[in-house]
Amino acid sequence: MANYYNIDDILMEEEPITSIFQVRANGVGLLDPGSESNCVEAGAKVDLPLWLAHELHLRQAVAIGVPPCFSQRTRKEVQADAACVDLRSRCPYFYELGCKIFPLVGDKSIGPFLLYTFTSRYKEILSKSHSAPVSTSPKYLPRLTQEETQLFKAAQWSIASFRKWRVGGSRLEKASILGRKRKPAAAQLPPAG
Amino acid sequence: MVSTAAGATSSGAGLEGEEGESIWGEDDASIAETTDVELLKRAWRNEKAAPEILLFEAGLVQRAREQIQLLEETVEDFVENGTDDLIVSLYQMDLDRSLFLLRSYLRVRLQKIEKYMFHISRTDLWNRLSEQEKKFSKRCVNAMEKHLEQSVLSRLPYGYQSILKQSISSEEDDMVPEPKLDTFVFCKSKGAVGAFQLDDVGDEIVDLVSDDLYVLRYKSIKGLVEGGRIDLV
Amino acid sequence: MYGRTASQLLRELDIADSDNLQAFNSDTCDQVIAECENHHLMLQSLIRKLEGEQLDIQTARNEDHFGAVTHHLSLLRNKRCLMAYMYNRAEVIRSLRWKVGAKLPEEIQEKLSFSEKEYFKNHSAAIESSMSELDLDLTVDMVPPKDPYIQVRVLDDIGDNLSLGDHSFSLTKNSVHSVRRTDAEQYISQGLMEEFFA
Repeated sequence: MANYYNIDDILMEEEPITSIFQVRANGVGLLDPGSESNCVEAGAKVDLPLWLAHELHLRQAVAIGVPPCFSQRTRKEVQADAACVDLRSRCPYFYELGCKIFPLVGDKSIGPFLLYTFTSRYKEILSKSHSAPVSTSPKYLPRLTQEETQLFKAAQWSIASFRKWRVGGSRLEKASILGRKRKPAAAQLPPAG
Repeated sequence: MVSTAAGATSSGAGLEGEEGESIWGEDDASIAETTDVELLKRAWRNEKAAPEILLFEAGLVQRAREQIQLLEETVEDFVENGTDDLIVSLYQMDLDRSLFLLRSYLRVRLQKIEKYMFHISRTDLWNRLSEQEKKFSKRCVNAMEKHLEQSVLSRLPYGYQSILKQSISSEEDDMVPEPKLDTFVFCKSKGAVGAFQLDDVGDEIVDLVSDDLYVLRYKSIKGLVEGGRIDLV
Repeated sequence: MYGRTASQLLRELDIADSDNLQAFNSDTCDQVIAECENHHLMLQSLIRKLEGEQLDIQTARNEDHFGAVTHHLSLLRNKRCLMAYMYNRAEVIRSLRWKVGAKLPEEIQEKLSFSEKEYFKNHSAAIESSMSELDLDLTVDMVPPKDPYIQVRVLDDIGDNLSLGDHSFSLTKNSVHSVRRTDAEQYISQGLMEEFFA
């Protein structure tokens, strides 16, 4: 797994997937809040995180459903006005989840839907990131998925760097990890090396 | 044509003097770009843009260091002899630029080694490192192993303590981060490469014209980069 | 839910983004380690049960098998979260050697675990020995140079009679000096000087 340590990939796999147990499983009662014994019965309908649902699905222990963020209703909303839809509240990892889930649920229409959604929202993301003053982004940003937010920030950073380059001025800066208002101790050692 | 000379550079300890110059030397228009500073700039750009570590340019780095030392001595002489300040600072700027290139080139490589230490030490990429980089890589791996070992791995149940395998039932090393070779890079070729196949099956063919800028997947032009036929920007 | 606590560790990293470091969360780490132990106990007891019934662990597809599989997967998941937490923090810690220098300010030190401090030391030593072999300081010249000399304003009393390059300076607060860029770079990234434009 080349992205074993990837934070986004790990968090994306935390997304809940509605799963129906095809078998009984012992000693895992915690999975099913409705279970009275310490096991999950066949036929129980449980929301499992993707990492677990995926592996159990491969072993034919559960059947998984299409997440609601790819439902017909969401699709209609996106088709009406893609840029306005609050995708983050539906799924912060909308695109990554879509790519991961479609081979599992065998729904080929998810792929084109993802592409359509992305291309229709892309322009707005770029133009907002380049033009909008910081004050308007609090309204816009929370609607974007994690992937889109990264794109937005990258675009913002690139335009900021471009402006800075055009104006000139200092390029040497304090390391951003050090707090803004740091009061250094009076006697600091000189830098090594 | 550039293509014939280029293949020779993929083996051995890097670009030797004559070999390195012969690549572009055959192209009359680019005589100006055969200086070591230009070659270093090119190696630096490639290294910065490529997702994986490239072959260490041993000969080139050696020559660049010699030239930097020469420049330093020249500047010192100038200062001692009371040469015009403007001339001194011009030389100094030239020196600073070369030093920056060299430092940045070496730094980018060390930081790539930091990032992919496990992958590099377990694959052919190992042979692309200089001796000193190999030492660095080993120390990186040791420090990281020790840290992860004592913070997490030693506290996990038996069978789950490997730093390479998720558990003893993993068939391969499924924990090693690798560079993303299918990432997109900007690239430009000096000479015309001609029709070039981007994928395995031959569905995508692009005609690489000299001096045009392309955005392509690194994976598909990896060979051209390694062979020195195309530059990343 | 299994693995939920462990994922909190990564949410922490996610909020902090790559330029920031939160205090090491040893409580949650300990909790996850304990969870791993529990999964392992459950896993073993289910395996013992299968063995008691003379069933093969790999092929017996009964309720005990699927219970065991779930605990095994949960253990892997918890391991992944713990490892990713340490690994991604280690990346930030490594970058400190390049950005801040060999000595970390107190405000950062206190956010690190014991092992992380040790890691910083060991990794710094690797970078330093590499640079001394090269006989070249790679932590300066982080941005392409323009002028060899720059004007800087000192933001705090750094010290009297400090030598920067060939000259010595009295680096008192608010004093302005013209120094070699490479000599000032680390002071600037530590927040002790700033570039000064008259």
